[in-house]
Amino acid sequence: MQLSRLASSAALGLLALLALTATAATPALAQTGVVQGQVVDAASMRPLSNVQVLVEGTGIGQLTNSSGRYVLLNVPAGEHTVQATLIGYDQATQTVTVAPGQTATADIQMSSTAISLNEIVVTGVGAETTRRALGTSVEVLSAEDFELAPVQSVDQLLQGRVAGATVSATSAQPGTGSLINFRGISSVFGAQTPVIYVDGVRVDNDQSTAAGTGGEQSSALADILVSDIERIEVTKGGAASTLFGSDAATGVIQIFTKKGTPGAPRITARIERGIELPELKYIFDMGVIFPERVESGEITERFMRDLYFKNGQAQNYYVGVSGGTAEVTYSVSGRLEDLSGTQPRDASTNYNIRGGLQASLSEDFTLQFSGNYVRHNFERLYNGAAIADPLTTFEVGDALFFSGASTLLEALDIFLLPQIDEAVNRFIFSAGARWNIMDDLSFRMTLGTDNRNNQQRTYQPIGFTPGEPTGNLRRYDRNFTSVSLDGGMTYAWESAGGTVGSSTTVGVQGFREEESVIFGNGRTFALPGTFDFDDAAVITAGEGNVEVFNGGFYVDEQLSLWDKLYLGGGFRIDAGSSFGDNIDTEFYPKATGSYILSEDIGLPLVDELKIRSAYGQTGKFPGAFLKDRTFSATSFRGESAPRFANPGNADLRPEKTSTIEAGIDAALWSNRIGLDFTVYEARTTDALFDVPRQPVTGQGIQQENVGEILNRGVEVALNLQLLNTQSLAWSIGGTFNYNHNEVTDMGGVPDFSAEGSQKRVTGCWTQSDPNDDSTCRGGPVGAWWLTTPTDTNGDGLPDGSERQFTGSFPVPDKSGSANTTISIGNDLTISALADWAGGHEVFDYGSVWATFNGIYRRERIRCGMEEGAAEGCAYAFPTQYRADGTVRGKYSQSAARSGFLYDGDYFKLREVSLRYVLPEDWAGTLGAGRATVYANGRNLWIWSRNQMIDGELNGLSGGGLRLGGESSITLSPNRTFRFGVEVVF
Amino acid sequence: MRKKNMSILGTGGRSVAAALLAVLTVAACDAIDPTQVSNPTTTDDDLAEATNPTEALLPGLRAQFARMINAYVVAEVITDNYSIHGTGIIVDMDEPHEVTSDLVNSTGTSASGVYWNVQELRALADFVIDEIAPNDPGAPPALVAEAHYYRGMAFLTMGEVFSNVPHEEDGSPQPSETALTRAVADLQAATGFGPQANAALARAHRLLGDAGAAASAASAVLGADPDFLFAPSYDEQFLTNTPVAFLVLRALQEMQPLPRLDFLDPKYTERDSPIPIAKAEEMHLILAEAALASGNVGEARSHLASAVTVAKGRGMVSFDDIDERRNADLSLRPRSSEILIRADADSPYRAGLVLNRPSDGLEIPYISGTSLSADSIAGLGSANEVWHALWLARQEILLLEGRRLADLGIKLPMMLREIDQNDNINEGDPGTVPVVPAYIPQNPRYAMDIYLPLDLYDGVDPGAPLVKNEVTMHVDMNRILVANNASPFN
Repeated sequence: MQLSRLASSAALGLLALLALTATAATPALAQTGVVQGQVVDAASMRPLSNVQVLVEGTGIGQLTNSSGRYVLLNVPAGEHTVQATLIGYDQATQTVTVAPGQTATADIQMSSTAISLNEIVVTGVGAETTRRALGTSVEVLSAEDFELAPVQSVDQLLQGRVAGATVSATSAQPGTGSLINFRGISSVFGAQTPVIYVDGVRVDNDQSTAAGTGGEQSSALADILVSDIERIEVTKGGAASTLFGSDAATGVIQIFTKKGTPGAPRITARIERGIELPELKYIFDMGVIFPERVESGEITERFMRDLYFKNGQAQNYYVGVSGGTAEVTYSVSGRLEDLSGTQPRDASTNYNIRGGLQASLSEDFTLQFSGNYVRHNFERLYNGAAIADPLTTFEVGDALFFSGASTLLEALDIFLLPQIDEAVNRFIFSAGARWNIMDDLSFRMTLGTDNRNNQQRTYQPIGFTPGEPTGNLRRYDRNFTSVSLDGGMTYAWESAGGTVGSSTTVGVQGFREEESVIFGNGRTFALPGTFDFDDAAVITAGEGNVEVFNGGFYVDEQLSLWDKLYLGGGFRIDAGSSFGDNIDTEFYPKATGSYILSEDIGLPLVDELKIRSAYGQTGKFPGAFLKDRTFSATSFRGESAPRFANPGNADLRPEKTSTIEAGIDAALWSNRIGLDFTVYEARTTDALFDVPRQPVTGQGIQQENVGEILNRGVEVALNLQLLNTQSLAWSIGGTFNYNHNEVTDMGGVPDFSAEGSQKRVTGCWTQSDPNDDSTCRGGPVGAWWLTTPTDTNGDGLPDGSERQFTGSFPVPDKSGSANTTISIGNDLTISALADWAGGHEVFDYGSVWATFNGIYRRERIRCGMEEGAAEGCAYAFPTQYRADGTVRGKYSQSAARSGFLYDGDYFKLREVSLRYVLPEDWAGTLGAGRATVYANGRNLWIWSRNQMIDGELNGLSGGGLRLGGESSITLSPNRTFRFGVEVVF
Repeated sequence: MRKKNMSILGTGGRSVAAALLAVLTVAACDAIDPTQVSNPTTTDDDLAEATNPTEALLPGLRAQFARMINAYVVAEVITDNYSIHGTGIIVDMDEPHEVTSDLVNSTGTSASGVYWNVQELRALADFVIDEIAPNDPGAPPALVAEAHYYRGMAFLTMGEVFSNVPHEEDGSPQPSETALTRAVADLQAATGFGPQANAALARAHRLLGDAGAAASAASAVLGADPDFLFAPSYDEQFLTNTPVAFLVLRALQEMQPLPRLDFLDPKYTERDSPIPIAKAEEMHLILAEAALASGNVGEARSHLASAVTVAKGRGMVSFDDIDERRNADLSLRPRSSEILIRADADSPYRAGLVLNRPSDGLEIPYISGTSLSADSIAGLGSANEVWHALWLARQEILLLEGRRLADLGIKLPMMLREIDQNDNINEGDPGTVPVVPAYIPQNPRYAMDIYLPLDLYDGVDPGAPLVKNEVTMHVDMNRILVANNASPFN
């Protein structure tokens, strides 16, 4: 707490200092005048707020207020061009002549665009490129899209906002991150999480950064915060990611933070309070599991609702200052967020200080710097498959058994004894330079680092009977460091008249990553209160270290013809420390093309139409040291005892994904409709499978490049401006994504498990001729493979059981979102966002667990508790028959796991936001330029086809390949309501 | 191309800056080469640097031997000795007919299964004996003998537990006789390691049906030490006694003993409890069996009595047992000393086989225990009665030492991974399916483990009173072994 105060004071001090410096740095010129005006939407004449207005060449700028008005002081006398920029609109300019001591007016009209073809994109291309020249699909989210969105981390931000992305949460527990997947599962090892860059620094995106607590893992995504993000660019693999080489098969997310815009210091303060309610849709409580205890009056049917869950408080404070001169701009902020949680021990606190700076040392030389510090403290609860998980144990009827308690109240006290605390300290620094050496030759370089330190302390006090009753303390410290370097030289030229243009970039890009984990365990304490594991009777410790380097050289060429036909090509040559000794480099080519068809062919209702296609390769490098044959040792009776470890593979190389894609970007019906449509086929060859060695060799498994995986799909984004009048604007939009995932070649490897024994990678999911193995077709990665009741004697009654593919899979193959925004007048904005996913099936591990106690949970919840209620009920658990046709009883859970697999389709009303900009005179009384009040809610409503478990959650995802789709009793993300005030001075 | 002026540096300055940058870059790359990584585990190159590689690898063989023994004894869940009532061990392991090549991997994961650990021990011993020791001038002969012992034990276990397995990469499955013959060769090279080599030779010859050689090796052990015991301990922290996890530390009821063996459970009570590998009792039992097979009932009775005498002299451990003796459905199993048990419907009820549980201060034999006594053996009349007592003595005295599987004649299939990865082995080949003698009952399911009545207690609460005190086991497997002349000497 002291640390937090210190951090907050330091942040405020820093802000004050910077504000003063910036104010002092603003020059006061004698021969100046004032430029003022209003910016309006050209179609509706509705004033536009938050438009960046800039006097070209002076660095003098401002954002428009809620009336669309701006006032620029100290503008040098003379003729100037005033430039207005706003996302979703074409940039507009207006010429104005300023006389000394006079006020000149420059009113500007801006035309909205349904597709922003002139938007600048940098990800996946050697140099800044306009969207019209891209042959690939690149998603861009700007601050406008999410500024006051009720989200805490980047993964939440992406939910529902990126076409082609499936983003699914783990649980309500703090510190967890979502599974993010673009364009299907392209690999069977490692998480599918895209690579994430913050201001050019490759940051930690590991999904399991602490010791497991039963399933829901702590993730590095939870502390990639969303304060002061200016823009996010998303590439989903393929040619758009080729320049990232062996590290981009799962896509790349680039986050750019704010560096400030020229103008007087602009101080933004935000105070937000809210409540969090536990989502109890999938929690069924005591009446089901302990009816006799409810009947006896010991507890109520709402035992857990009343005594375990609670409504939590949320607080969020933010203060930031930005501004600058034509030479130096800055943006600095501090943030504090505190959530009290909705379960007994799941509170979290986030402190964040960040700053961004951009300085032009000369007309042609610019430096950029950004620094970001996050401290994230949070508590955790045991969960998922852990016996100590309070939620599951009460929901499946094991609370008394595992605690040894005689009453449920006593058991609850015991289950709440463990303390799991985690603390994350994270610094991300980035420094960059850009040098326009000549008119047509420029150089840029970015160097940065992410340092993330995570400490976890899992304490089971003496007397914690479900665990080690003599006391146990586990420590898990993880240190992550990455250093990234990206440098390139671009030569750009244009023929006279601009008929032909070319931009050639040559560059290097690479990173080094080090991960060090040290863990210790102390068992059996003499006295309570010990938080040092070296006080224990039995102490064990261990460590794990990983070092990886991957880097490459790239060439990228962009050719433009008549400013409507664009051709691109390039390649990357990669080297990495994880490549086998026989592999020196990897080669990744790409080729793109786009054509602004609407420039040549006039089609009715079509304003702009771009067609595009691309081919590109990306890779995913193998595990860090899996190329080496190794021996590992354990301690045994005081000796170091070696055995065979990794078998070694000198030919190990990255798996490669070759993507061919095509699509259109279209603006229709006077820019009322924007359409983005992409089809793709991505084939991963040399896919890295864990190939088992024959056990007779005494060797385990070895990663080898043997498999092939196909992903094929479509991505659609549609935006529709329904109304656009001066008093009312209403737009709706949506995305849709379909992916077909198939293992097309097993490389001679037999079927193997993927993330637990129930999900499988198979080369024979369906077989058109049961007697001919060559008619087999591979399944999606992680196809469900479960024990299923079978009829062995042909009497039509199930009597046996065998493991079978159920024909379903855990990862949604369809997902999408819908959003709407209504602006009333210029002050009130209401928006909503929903997302959905489907096509997958999810596994109810909690109900499996309940059967250990003879409780058929699904049956009791869905069919009723009365005697015989399950007869004829669709949710009845399968009955097993004997060979003679008589009833043997219910199948055991181990013989009929398929009975716990449900349809995973869900639809969630993710966000509703309401924002009102207070009248200027009200804000003026506060001394503020602008004041906004807002209210928003998140995770407000769920529809799901099955009513037992949340189809979104991944409560039992293990390390490595993370597919999700399997949950124990897991709390869905909380329903949150927040109310805030933002004041800009 | 037009050069631009850079305001902060002139042309000369720019050249200097560029040169400086280049020098710094080169220097920095040399000082902190970002491409260099260090593998934190031992590689082949590292191993080549070891000064005494044989000595360095021997602890690895000892640990692997300990892992193999752990897996070998836990496989007793397949026999009548133990039944499975928790999730720690796959429940299908309880029924020998249902053990498949993917299940037999283990108690859950491949690396903890018998097959895996037998092969890893053999392969690691091959590595030490064939590749490391010949090139290690400093390899002490005693350590090489010890390595032969471990490889001999790997082959012995292979021949005892599996019907056909490969002995080398891409090899075709070899019958158990070949494994046992190879065990004999290695164990003969291991006699310098101690009497345990002869004890293992006695077992190998017994399984090969060579009564003379078996008796000779057994006598050699007893001649060296009449109370011989080879029982290396486990490690309290790092490689613990696996049965303890399922018998003592269990969260569920993973391994529950056959009710008539209750008085012997839990044999291992500490994480580092040793598991007996070779002991004098077993030598006496092999001598008794050889005598019986040659029709010498009197001598057999005498050796049997010696075995019981040695067993009863081994001592007891005091144990506070919190186990409530529950089935998977949480119903209570026999757990009261007033319970009488008969081995099957045709056997007499016997007292003293069940202890009161949960209870503090239980006295449990931790090396050998038996319900037989000198008097009961003296009272045995016919050869069949002695045979029955012999099988019972083997079951009780060698409980959780792994022998019951072979005594029942059950052979496990090899691991599925071996079948999948070896082009010379196909599904259906010898060794890919379990070998279960026809005399092992399979109807009803778990026939070897079940008993009547089921409702011994009034309810399932911890304090539920006993309502019936007579328990009848469904089947007496020892009677069946007698009836089927199951001894390898027959």
